[in-house]
Amino acid sequence: MQDISLHLLDIIENSARAEAKNIKVRIIQNNLKNHLRIIVEDDGTGMDSPTMEKAQNPFYTSKVEREKKVGLGIPLFKQNAELVGGSFKMASEPGFGTVLTVDLVLDHIDRMPLGNLKDTLLGVIIGHPDIDFFIQLIYRDRSVEHCFHFDTKAIREELGDIPLTYPDVIEYIDQSLYEGIQNTNMEDV
Amino acid sequence: MKTLADLKKIREKAQEDMKLRGGNVRIKIVVGMGTSGIAMGAREVMKTFLEEIAARNLTDVMVTQTGEKGLSSMEPVVDIIEEDKPKVTYGNMNPDKVKKVVVEHIVNGRVVSDYVVATGN
Repeated sequence: MQDISLHLLDIIENSARAEAKNIKVRIIQNNLKNHLRIIVEDDGTGMDSPTMEKAQNPFYTSKVEREKKVGLGIPLFKQNAELVGGSFKMASEPGFGTVLTVDLVLDHIDRMPLGNLKDTLLGVIIGHPDIDFFIQLIYRDRSVEHCFHFDTKAIREELGDIPLTYPDVIEYIDQSLYEGIQNTNMEDV
Repeated sequence: MKTLADLKKIREKAQEDMKLRGGNVRIKIVVGMGTSGIAMGAREVMKTFLEEIAARNLTDVMVTQTGEKGLSSMEPVVDIIEEDKPKVTYGNMNPDKVKKVVVEHIVNGRVVSDYVVATGN
């Protein structure tokens, strides 16, 4: 995985597999603190502490059907964050959900780029019609703060029984995400 | 800027559409989005399906994402599910192959056998 947007996709798929109904994604770029923070919060099945420990080990997977017990998604993201002076934290509670927080040094020369956030978000929103997504992008600098909020609940209310895969809706979501990412300077930092 | 008011217009148009042809989903496309699929380009496969659906105005197709199912060496993997027909699984997909599958299979109903890695359940 070369960039943050691909890791983010992998993490969101974990939440979906944990039967989340709501997934919150927040990305905060703070230039004053030289800080890039990614938070993914879900209301899925959650994990107890031993399972959470194991999830960070590459030789563990929750997938029972798998012959070789390898699960690389979380360990890879953790490693890619820690290698560049960042941190990777998970908090979880069975029955309540999981929160994952990744903190990175914004201007670290080896920090992964954000990558194509738009395609990651567009895919997960349309590819999981039963999950509501709340997306928040925040950009902070000395005297400015740009925010972008995207909430699929509001969109669904407006659309009624029209599915998110309706062609014009795909274009609408794609365009909204594009504008939001541009306005918060998250196209690629 | 895109606003919720734009959605109202889309809704009205879509409802007209639905009245004409009924609201059923004819074909379901499922893109495998496990860790290995993502590493092999599954996101671009998903994106290309969405672009093609929008460009060709396919209103009776649904696309979803799922975890991986043990075909890691053939990722990205895509299932095409149609009522009363055996499931078709395409492997080693990429955006160009997706375009071909949309034209041949989704629009014209002809399975692209060169890309098939499994059929049935």
